[in-house]
Amino acid sequence: MSQPMIEIADLQKWYGDQHVLRGVDLSVRSGERIVVLGPSGSGKSTLIRTVNGLEPHQGGTIRVDGHDLDARGQAGAAARRATGMVFQAFNLFPHLSILDNCTLAPIRVAGLARAEAETQAMALLERVRIADHARKFPIQLSGGQQQRAAIARALAMAPKVMLFDEPTSALDPEMVGEVLDVMCGLAESGMTMMVVTHEMQFARDVADRVIFMDQGRIIESGPPASFFADPREARTRAFLGRLRA
Amino acid sequence: MSACAFPSLPTRARRSWTAWAVGLAVALAALVLVAPALRWLFWDATWVGQSRAACGPAGACWAMITARAPQILLGFYPAGHGWRVGLAVAMLAVGLAPLAWRRRAGLTMLTAPVGALACLALMGGAGILPSVPSAYWGGLALNLIVGAVSAIFALPIGILLSLARRSTLPVIRILASAYVEAVRAAPLIVVLFAAAVLVPLLIPPQWSLDKLTRAIVAITFFEAAYMAEAVRGGLMAVPQGQREAARALGLKGWQVLVFVVLPQALRTATPALVNSFIGLLKDTSLIYVIGVLDITGVLRNAVSDYAWQGLEPEAYIFVGLTFWLLCFGLSRWSAALERRAARAQGAPS
Repeated sequence: MSQPMIEIADLQKWYGDQHVLRGVDLSVRSGERIVVLGPSGSGKSTLIRTVNGLEPHQGGTIRVDGHDLDARGQAGAAARRATGMVFQAFNLFPHLSILDNCTLAPIRVAGLARAEAETQAMALLERVRIADHARKFPIQLSGGQQQRAAIARALAMAPKVMLFDEPTSALDPEMVGEVLDVMCGLAESGMTMMVVTHEMQFARDVADRVIFMDQGRIIESGPPASFFADPREARTRAFLGRLRA
Repeated sequence: MSACAFPSLPTRARRSWTAWAVGLAVALAALVLVAPALRWLFWDATWVGQSRAACGPAGACWAMITARAPQILLGFYPAGHGWRVGLAVAMLAVGLAPLAWRRRAGLTMLTAPVGALACLALMGGAGILPSVPSAYWGGLALNLIVGAVSAIFALPIGILLSLARRSTLPVIRILASAYVEAVRAAPLIVVLFAAAVLVPLLIPPQWSLDKLTRAIVAITFFEAAYMAEAVRGGLMAVPQGQREAARALGLKGWQVLVFVVLPQALRTATPALVNSFIGLLKDTSLIYVIGVLDITGVLRNAVSDYAWQGLEPEAYIFVGLTFWLLCFGLSRWSAALERRAARAQGAPS
């Protein structure tokens, strides 16, 4: 087996006086699907936001695709470019059409020609099944469609890892399925994924490994079958118990 | 039942009764007040003539306006060169044209300054056409040129100032804030006076700019402070998630600004920017302090002429209406731009 896709060692993060990540160690294989669970304030969103450099960290190391995220210049940029991010609030650019949302970074960052970027973007929009809406603006789309567009936008930069920060939490219940569907398809294609979510069914069906965080630490991790059936830690049991209640 | 005992509102029938009564009273009052004004303005007015003697006693004397029309439009710009003024104003319009071109509206940032420079070159001669010193520029064209040229250069400066006010470097932030606060606290007329009188005392004459150019530079930097505040409001309205999404896609800091943040911020700031531009356009009349005759100055000049003495009401009503038309037109145009931008994005308008 080659080197891990993501390697996090003793990660420390403070917001002012608040110690939000207290020594997180995690190694993610290429193609592995990780679901991160935990009560709110456990640091799970912060964890995946540090993995692509959106949040600076104060201690420990993060390596993505073999590159040190904190390295200056090329290596740091390569680590950041290896990740794609999907946000809870979609964060599509409202002043650009769906197609332009998906071509902005390929043209401006990767240096593709417009025609090439558009062909590639259309293929991705086809894949998330909103190619018909390519010329529309974000506000004209439903939440589920917007989130699928946001996934296509992140994929347009050909990331090796996709990070999802509660991608279905802002959606109406009837739209959750279509987004999970797209994510499931992505998982089947072999994408390395780290997903923060409250969708237990997704965790059961898609995850290779479930990670449970509380108070800035990883408390427990394991394959979904044993994690859900037989959690070892009291805090995990309490969390899962509250979900079932 | 009693839980919902809100105070009862007046019934619709009773309210509409009073509404009718008030409406009727206002309409009557308006008729009584406005009818004589309309008579004076239009019905009894004299439109053509060579002096005040040609005008009837009961109505307005618009003959002064028609007789002085060339000056009102162009000031004392040499006869036979009026086309240059027309072309100069057209250059401004051409420079601003990409604004209407939705996909490339940002191009205006480049074309507008070029248009503004072309406009000034045409007016002055730029060493190719016969030179016309700025003392001869004037009339409504001067108001339009000073207003537009200042605004065109003030916007980029204002954007830079607004960005500087949000800088992470304290020195830059404090300097920009101090500048904006200082300028906003000074009246334009004082700034113009300083540019006209103080600057020549401080700078050796061979380095000094032409008087009108100094005034335009002064108005530009004055206006920039107001535009900076309008843009800052727009910047604050862009959600943090937009910057995060752009950074997560690998855009560099300046790219996040140019392609994601500024287009949204400027769209949000448009009403405030137009508002400050309308203020600027009206303030262009203050350039009389440097001794050039804009539309107000030309008319003030006209009523001091023996032939038109005592026609201040007509002069100021005409100036007021002209500015009102310009500013109202601008406000409608910006509203149309906003509606179109909203429609393009499918927002319910």
